[in-house]
Formats: sequence, C-alpha cells, structure tokens
Amino acid sequence: MAFSGTLPPASNLHAILLVTKSRSLGPRLVFHYPPLSPSAAALAAAKDPTWYRNESSTASVDSHSSDSDWDSSTEADENDDLEVGSRTSGRGSGRTGPSGSRDRLKLGIGGWGRQETIDEEDIDDNHDENGRHRGGDYDWSSVLGLKVDALEKILTPSQDYNKRRFELGVESIVFVGAPMFVREDGLWKKLRRKKKKKSELQKIEDGDLVGNLSITEEESKPEPFIYPPGFEPGYGHESLSVPGSVAPSEAGSDARSNSTAGHDDNPDMTMFNVVFVLNPPALEYQRRVKEMYDNVTRKYAKALKYEQARFQYVWKESKRIIDIKQRAKENGDSISVTWKNLLATSPLAKSIAILYDAISNNKIAHIHFDATFNTSFQIPQAMSTPYLPNALEPQMPGLWLTTSNVVLDEEEAPMTQHAALLLLEDPEILIKDLGGEASENGAAIAGLIRRIVPTKSLLKISKKHNISSHDMEYIASHLVYWRRARLIDPLSQRDTYIVSPNADMNSLPAAASNFARHFPTLPSLPKFLSLLSGTPRMYKSFIPTYEHRDIYLEVLAWLMRGGWVTQLRTFAWIRVTPEIKAQVAVEMEREERIKKAEEARKELASETGSVNASLFSDKRSSLLSDHTARPLTPMKWRRDKSADASEEMESSTILSPRITATASAHHRGSPARPASDAGSNSSQRTTIALNSAGRPDSPSHLLPHNSKVHKPSPLHLKPTSPSLNAVTSPPLPVEEDLLPQPHLFKPSLILSPQKASSVEARWLEAIGKTFEEIDHHHPRHPSYPVNNPSPPKHTDGIMGISGKELREQWPMLLRHLDGKHAIEDVAPREGLKRKRVAVLFNAVREKGWLVVVRHW
Amino acid sequence: MPTRAIKAIFYTRFHYEKGSRVLHQVPAGAITPSTSPSALPAPLFQFSSVTQYLIPTQQFCDRLITCCVNHHRIIGYPVCIKEEKKYERNEFIFNFAVVISENEADWACYGQVVRKLGRLLRGLEEQGGFLSKEEDGVWDDDNVGLGIGGSGIDDSMGSSGFGIGSGSKVYALCEMVLEDLNNYAECMIPIDDSNTINLKLFPTRPPPPPVLAHQVPILTMSLAGLQSPISSDLTLNRVLPYINGVNSISRIAQLADTDLSLTRRAVQHLVYYGCLVLLDIFSFSAIYAPTAEIGGFIVDDDVKGECMRYVRTPKLRVGSAASKTTVGRSESERSRDERSSISSSVSQHSETASSTIHISDFDAGENHDVNEDDEWHIEHETLITLYTSLRQGLTLKSWVLDNLDLLSGIDIRRFITFGIIKGFLYRVHNHYPWQWAPPFDHQPAFPCTASLVFHTPTIDSLDNKSESSSGEYPSPP
Repeated sequence: MAFSGTLPPASNLHAILLVTKSRSLGPRLVFHYPPLSPSAAALAAAKDPTWYRNESSTASVDSHSSDSDWDSSTEADENDDLEVGSRTSGRGSGRTGPSGSRDRLKLGIGGWGRQETIDEEDIDDNHDENGRHRGGDYDWSSVLGLKVDALEKILTPSQDYNKRRFELGVESIVFVGAPMFVREDGLWKKLRRKKKKKSELQKIEDGDLVGNLSITEEESKPEPFIYPPGFEPGYGHESLSVPGSVAPSEAGSDARSNSTAGHDDNPDMTMFNVVFVLNPPALEYQRRVKEMYDNVTRKYAKALKYEQARFQYVWKESKRIIDIKQRAKENGDSISVTWKNLLATSPLAKSIAILYDAISNNKIAHIHFDATFNTSFQIPQAMSTPYLPNALEPQMPGLWLTTSNVVLDEEEAPMTQHAALLLLEDPEILIKDLGGEASENGAAIAGLIRRIVPTKSLLKISKKHNISSHDMEYIASHLVYWRRARLIDPLSQRDTYIVSPNADMNSLPAAASNFARHFPTLPSLPKFLSLLSGTPRMYKSFIPTYEHRDIYLEVLAWLMRGGWVTQLRTFAWIRVTPEIKAQVAVEMEREERIKKAEEARKELASETGSVNASLFSDKRSSLLSDHTARPLTPMKWRRDKSADASEEMESSTILSPRITATASAHHRGSPARPASDAGSNSSQRTTIALNSAGRPDSPSHLLPHNSKVHKPSPLHLKPTSPSLNAVTSPPLPVEEDLLPQPHLFKPSLILSPQKASSVEARWLEAIGKTFEEIDHHHPRHPSYPVNNPSPPKHTDGIMGISGKELREQWPMLLRHLDGKHAIEDVAPREGLKRKRVAVLFNAVREKGWLVVVRHW
Repeated sequence: MPTRAIKAIFYTRFHYEKGSRVLHQVPAGAITPSTSPSALPAPLFQFSSVTQYLIPTQQFCDRLITCCVNHHRIIGYPVCIKEEKKYERNEFIFNFAVVISENEADWACYGQVVRKLGRLLRGLEEQGGFLSKEEDGVWDDDNVGLGIGGSGIDDSMGSSGFGIGSGSKVYALCEMVLEDLNNYAECMIPIDDSNTINLKLFPTRPPPPPVLAHQVPILTMSLAGLQSPISSDLTLNRVLPYINGVNSISRIAQLADTDLSLTRRAVQHLVYYGCLVLLDIFSFSAIYAPTAEIGGFIVDDDVKGECMRYVRTPKLRVGSAASKTTVGRSESERSRDERSSISSSVSQHSETASSTIHISDFDAGENHDVNEDDEWHIEHETLITLYTSLRQGLTLKSWVLDNLDLLSGIDIRRFITFGIIKGFLYRVHNHYPWQWAPPFDHQPAFPCTASLVFHTPTIDSLDNKSESSSGEYPSPP
C-alpha cells in the first residue's frame, strides 16, 4: 500500500519544539520554531477522512511557515498565487539543478501537489479559516493552536521513553522526539566513554571530510578531539572553526575539564525532548517519520545531550530562553520581535532555527554548537531512480534515471572504483566549503578535488596522481553522501546518451539561460536536447570536430548533473536455439546410454566373466527400457553385436566416426525405422551420425536423413571438449537412432548464466563451441541458427576476432549476459579494453545468440 | 483483506478519584495483567506509560491520539462529555482504543474506525447513557488494587467470574469489533432499535493524479456488472461506454456530450479506485522504447502469458468458413490478417471504427469465450523479440514495417498498451528546439532524427523535382 519507490524529498516538517522538565519549573516548552506556527488543526485538517488529500493544504501552510514573517494576510495571497503558477506548470516544481538552489520543493504528495485537484476550493476555504493563526503574534499561550501547558505535559513522557523514539500522533500530525533523561547519578553521560573505532559508514556520514582522511592523519595532533560518533561537522560552516586546525586539541582538553562541571548530584533538569512536528501523508507516514527520526531527531538530541553533558548547555540555554520570553511576555512584546532577539542571543535557539530552515527545505543543516563542536544534519536523498514516472505515479522530475546505482548483488564487488565522480558544484566553491586550503589537509584535498574529472574513473585518477585508492573512495563516498557529487559511469564520447524521460522540462527555460551562460559559443540547450532525443547514437557523432571534444564532454557533464540526459546502457540475455538444445539433448542421451552400457558391462564382467549373448541382451534391454519399450527385433540383436564389435575396435572408432555414421545410414533404410519413430517424441533422441554427417567432409550423409534438420555442428568431436567422454569411452551401439530434433524444442533465454542449471551450462558450453568452428569451416557452413534475425556478414573471423578467442572469452562474457549487468560495465570489471569487449559482444550478437535491449 | 492486524481493543475510563482504568480489554491480559485462563501471558505494553495519551488533558480530547510504545501503536480517540449533574465532576471521559503493530504501513484506516467508534459511543452515551449505565457499582466494588493505575477491574472480572464482562454490552462490542475487523475488515453491530454500528477498514489510496484532456483512459476491470451501483453519477454513466482504450478524455466528453471538467472528474474517481489507468494517445508516429523494467517482463513467464492472451487477435474468418482450415494457411492470407489487424487499430484511432472489426473493444476478460483454435499462437520468444526491438528514434510505423512477419496475430495497439500499462515501455518524446523557441524565432533547425523525413520542407522536394525533371540530375533516391 505504501509507496515503495523513490519519494521526492519532503520532510513534512512544520515545527521544532524543545521541551524540558526540571525540578524547579516542571515541564516547560522552552522554545519552538518557527515563532508563529501553523495551527495543528490546519495541519491535520481533521475533517477530511482522506488525510492524503490534505497534502495540498498542508503544502500551502508549509510555505507560510517557512517564511520568517508571515503575519500579513497579503502574503498568504501571494503564496497562493505562486501555487497557482506552479499548478499550471505541471507536477509541482522540481529542482533545477543538483545543487537544489530552487527555494522549495513543493511537490505535494507523490509529486503532483495540488495541481488540478478538483476539490481544491474546499481545501482553500478550510485553510483560510483555520490555517493561520490570526493575531497570533501576541498569543503567548498557544503553539500550533494548542495550549502551551497541555503541550508541555503531553510532550514530556515518562522515563520509559528514554532514548527511545517518542511518537505521538494528534490527528494526522505527529510529534517525533527523542527524549533524553538524566542518569540516576545525576550525570548526562557515563564518565568514561569507550572510544569506538568508527565504521566506514559512520565516517562517511560524519561531516568532517578533512579530519577523517587518512592521508592527513599525521601524528601532529597529540590528542585529537574525539567527536561523539556521528557528530563530525559537515561543511559549509561560516564559522571560524576550521576543521583540522589547531583548535581541536585545545578544545579537547577544554571539553575534558568541562565534562565534570555538569556533574551535579541534584541536577535541576531531568529530561529534555526535542520534538519535530510533521504531517506526513498517510501512505508515506512510516517512511517519513523514520527518516526524520533516524537522521535528524535522534542525532540532534544526542548532540544536545553531549553538549549538556559537557557544560549544561541545554539547561543553561533553556533558562536563558525562558527568561527572555518571560520578560518579553510581561512587556507585551510581539512574538516575532522576541524571536529575533532570541536567535541573536541564544545559540541553542539559533541552532534549532537553522535546523528547521534547512531540514524543512530538504537541505543540509550545518550546526555550530560551540567552538569545538560542529555537525551537520540531513535526510539523505535519493541520487537516482531506475523507475520511470507514469501518469498515475509521478515522481520527482529531474531525478537522475539510471540502473547503474541499483545494487544487484550484495556480494558483488562494488563499482565505486570504476565509477567517476561528477561534482555537483563548482570545485572552487566546494573547496571553500570544505574550509579552504589554509591547512595542510585542506590543500591536499583541494588539490584532489581539482583533479576529479567525470571522464576518468576514480581508479584512474588515483593511479595517475598517486593517491591511495582507499582515500579516493572515501572522499568520493563522503562527497556523495553530503550531496556534493554523484557517482556515474565515466563519461565517454563512445557511450550513448539520451534525453532522460524523467528530465524536468518545466525548468527548461531557466536551465536554458543558465546553459547559455556556461557555454556561450555552443548551440542552445534545447538544441542539444533535441539532438539527444533522436535515434540514439554515440555521443562522439554529435561532436563536430576534435577541438570540440572537451567542451562537448563538459556539456555532457552539465546535462548529466541536471538529470537532463542519461546513459543508454546495453543489457543482454543469451538465447538458446532449439538446435543447441537438441544437440545437447543428444549428447546427454548418449552419455546416459554409455553410462548404462558401462554399468551393464561391469556387471556382466563381475558376474561370471562368461559372456552370454542372451543374458547380455536381456540386461541391455532392461537397462534401456526407460527410453525404449522397444520390442526385441533382429535389429536389437544386431546392435548388440555391433556393440561387441566396437568394443574390440575402440580406438579406431574414435578416429573415424564415420563408421557409425555409415552404420546409421544403413539402419535408416532398415526395419529399425519404427523404433526411432517410436522415440521421436521423447525428445531425447538424436543421432551421432548426424554429427559426423554435419561435417563438411561428409555432407552427403545429412541429406538422406532429414533435410529439414539444421545440422548442428559436430562439436562433440573436438578432442578438448569435456563432453568428449562419448568418444573416449566405447562408441555407442545405441546411438544410431539418436537424431537431433530441434523442432521439439523451443528457443529460450538463460536468465542468469552465473547460476545456470546443469542443462543450461551445457547449452552455454555448446554455444561456446560453435564459435570455434568459425575458424575451421568454410562460410557455407550454417553455424548459426536459421531464424537468426541478424545473420553474420562474414563467418570466418568475425569483426576482427577469431573464433578461438571468442571461445576463450565466452565464459567471461556470459557472466554479464543476465540482463542486469550493463555490457558497458564489462570492460572495467574485467580489466579489458572497452573496444575489445565491444568486439566480443558484437561478435556474439551478430551470431544471434543474444537478446539485446537498451535502457538506462 | 483480513489481516488480523488488530492486536487488541480496550476501553479505558477515567474516574475522578481512581484515575484511569481499563474496564474492558480483548483479548484478556493484553493491556493489564489478567487472571483469566485465556489471558495473554504478559501485557503488550505497560499501561502506565501510555495513560497520559489515553486520557489526556481536555485540549487533546475528541481528537485522534496515537502513540507508540514497545513496538505497538495505540490508536485512541479520547472523548470527554461534559454534562452537569449527570456525571461526577460533570465529566465523563473514556477512550476506546485499538492496538496494532507499530510498523503497520497503512494504519490510517484504523484511525478512521477508532474515530468513528469514538464519536458513535459519544452519541450513544449522550442519548441514553450507553456506557455509564453499565458502571453502576463497578467503581464501588472494586477497591482492590485500584491504587496502581491499571490493574484493577479487569483482574477482579477475571477472577470473580464475570463481574462486568458477561452482561456488558461494551465488552461484547470490543470483542465483536476486534473479531469482525480482523476477519472481515468490516462489521455491523446492532446496538438497539435505532442504532447500529457499521465499521469498515478502507485501505488508504493515494490521491488520484490530475486527469488531462489528452489522456486516454483504459479500464483494468470490467465494470459492466457494476453498472447499477455506479449509476448514481450521471456523468460517469454516460462516459463509461466510451472508455475503450482508444478515446481520449476530450473525445469521450464530446461523444458522451458531457462537460469536459465533469468527465475528468468522473474518470478521476475511477482512477482513484484503480479501475482505470491513463495512457497517451496511441499513434503510429509515436516512438516507444523499453524501460529498465523490461527485464522483469523477460524473466516472468506469467506476464508473458498474460501479454500473449491480451495482444493476440482472433483469427479472421474471411468471408466463408473456407478460411477456417487455417492449418496450412497461405502466406497471402496471413499478410491479409496482418494488415487488417493493423488497420483496425489505425482506423479505431482515427475514429472510423464502425466499419472495421471490433477486436479492440477492451474488456479484460473478453477473450476467454473465444475458442483457442481460433486464435493465433504467439511464442514468448516472439514477444521478447518484438519488445526489445522497439527503441528510441524508431517510430512505431517503421517498427511495424521492420517486423511485419513477426506481427501476425498481434494487435499492435494492445501490444504497445500492454507494455505501457506494465511499465516496461514508455513513450519517447522528441524534443524539438522550436518547441520552446519564441514564436518569431522559427529557424528550421532540424534534428538528425527519423522525423526529418516528415518535416522536410516542401521547397526542397520541389527543387529536387524540378531539377530531376529538367534532366540535370538523376532523380533523387
């Protein structure tokens, strides 16, 4: 029922409240932000039974609340107008560029917002009545339209909720908090915390790239300051604290001394609860709440707790805020004025405001707690989606459409090393955000970031510039996690790119002018898109001259960044033709018979050693009974005799399979005919005769049998083949009536060659063997299936590759032919030249063994 | 969809002296420990940690209040009835709450039920004291264990036989609601002569997308049998016959002579209930290409089977029964079938369907009365080949010409539609620069696409013609 696919980022965050409980003051709603919150009634719009529909009304409320100042009624109208604008423009507004610089994603539910919603008038009315708290600027007694004292009470849960998720739903709005309680010994944390080694993932999720980088981990910092896990600063701080500067070590000792300051046997504050007010649509409820709690609520509460443990941060600040509020209330100040004052004086209030502004806009919040502790919060966003929106399930336009990020198999080595990093913003801006080049680490990283190009894989870059690949990967993951970059297949002029069906065409006009600024000398963006929306061609073919190559690749990177284009990748499955199946069936049948014959022989030998002809034949017939039920005819007898004979002349038969062939031809005209007919629907029946008959040197044998049979080639005679036991063991007496009967089989696909069943494995092997024949047989040999839709132009040495090579590479190649792995990825994965892979792939494709499809 | 998602239902009352008490709980022991033999071994959660949400301050009464504790989600609707003289302290506060799993994806429908139940019980209590009259003596009797919130009455009920449970209508109500909603997702409980409780769990559906005039609705189920219940909406009734997977919304409005916006709204209702999907107008000049989900189609034999049944056309019996002996049908007949199947789609598209064979009247189950022998057999292999040969830059028209021999017995419109409905095909939109260019800026900047053929300025061809006729150049290819 709930959406499983990619949801547009929408935090549904409408307010953040800080509630404390202290011995002196009891439960207190210390601070809430934004200062003038929408009423809970408007958020919930409880009268409508389908909460989902209300998204539209909440979206508008949301936009009010995001404004710092919204007490004038004209502004509401402006906002409404804005929405009308976006309504006509299609499914909500998307983001123009990866930087998400557009002010807000008002995607509404599932992406269409209130566009064209038929019942919208009702909602509007509703909204205008309840949605805004008129005259609320002097209303100190209620928040979210609820009485403050009631809120205070209900948001201070019992100790049972310590460090647990606190989730309270009031109609369709939900209060999500992570209550933190003081320990029984009056401390906010254990005195000695174990220093845990951070996991890779945690490191990535930490904001501090510079600090975590191992190249820069010189022992120059004797006592590095240990951030609580998960709370390294991100970037984008305007603060003076440059990560990696000298400050940390001082701060470390600072923190140490301060941590005891919080030790008070009888602490005043016993708990605090940071509560995030959301109104997620019903179908997204679980996911949105979980995302908010896991990524923001809990982490922020832990950060506050850490600060509280160090120097009573929360309680000191709370007292200050309560004090200021009290005075303002007595003076009759308006809330908005007071809040400005609060934000200026209290870092805690400021941090909540920053957090709210960023998270409710789906951005990253950089919070500066004190001189030594910065951290960043975000709800991670989807980078890409493999799914295409349709009329019924819109999704965020502009989201990069690709399957390259889909994890197919956990065990598989990730492609990270082979991917390129596409920076989503200007490297210089990024470097500045990272703290500049002042420090040694900063300079190292800056140098590295400047070297990142989207056309080279990380592996190549790290090799070329002598950077450890581990560092490279770490930096990449970090930049990706913090939305600064995206991992893509290295851009190449030899790849094919198409206009993404998920491109956000509504933002085209803005993007086009942006594009024109970037590439003033090139054709316009619409022109590029039109080029790329035609018949897919290698990107190279759009580049007019060699001199244009670099700039065209830059254009490509620009288009990729904005989700305008996506790479068209190739996927293939192996198609097994009836001929191969028939041929393998023959082989298997023959092996079966050999085995049985062998057994029979052994048994016979062990019995008395005396060869009794009649006994022998009895045995044989019973052993063969599963596929025969054949009457004992003179034929039978003769066959037995021939078996004996062949035993004697084993070696000679190996060398001249034609003996059996002739024998078979002989039987053909004999009364043996009915016998083979009888078995014809067993589908297991074939003849080796045919195998030899199919050889070019004895084509005449083919004709008498069955002119319709498309003669699978005589593969089994290759001395190296594992299925050769047929030849090395005694030749089979029973083979003569084995005929490949492709018409009994249907072509089919092998869906996962890696996990092929034993029969499938043999088919694959048989296909592999056909490649080699190209070298040995003259072109007339029909070595590819008749119904091959694209027959090879030339059979010997197709496209510059010999059949032998093809055969050798086949086991490698077929691993990727499961329809899930792009052929474009084969070269880096297998360490081959891409040209080589293309040749191999095309050779196999030409021969009609593949079902090929191209998508993103 | 009986899911048995409701873990427990309980009825909590607030007593002015004795605090919040669970008066009834189903199953026994779910909320407060019970000595009843059938009781759960341990309560699902600690009652004391949720009492403040079950019986909140008046500010939060008459609202749906949910809270999560111990992996359970408790959905309650606290009701506070204020009436002087009737009640002690002039208030009667109760909450009739259900417990479901915390991770229940779609719990909104339980919220609806709880809300309705809360309001109904409020009404019943206000009318005739449905809840309060059962309580005579309950609070007096039960002095044992009342000190600690929550372990009181139910305990005594369990041990003393059926103090309140046996004859209690409220208890019976809890039991019936739990059982019926879990088993049948709905319930109807007669309370007295004039009151009946009707509850139903309606799964939450996403809001329907806007319906645009150019979209083509196609039904995913047969609504023929449902005609009468649907009939209350006049527009819908008029519109329905014209929904055939070919007509666009605006065309439907025209044919049915209905207002366009009403038509859109009617169709939107059908979309909401999932009876209908919206497509693009089918066109042979459109381009279709596979999406990433094509892999799912190739792997899944069931879908291929479904596709085969959907796209195949009945064999045509041209004129007499002679052509029924189609075992060794001639090539010519085959291609005639071919053409007619295509033309039928085309002509339907161009709304001149009346004269052609109605093979495309859509109704999913339409095919099953047709004799198997009368239908083309289509190999899965063929379907795969056909779908994978669609690609960007190739118009459907050219594709049909390329694959004419494989298309016998396949209704092309249905073939494409099937792929789009299942999501493994999409319609490729060509982007021409002039689409966004200001009106005066109509430079003939032609992209290198197949569409060039159709857009070649006539001047060129005229020139060519004149040139070739003058004999200067060989005629153009």
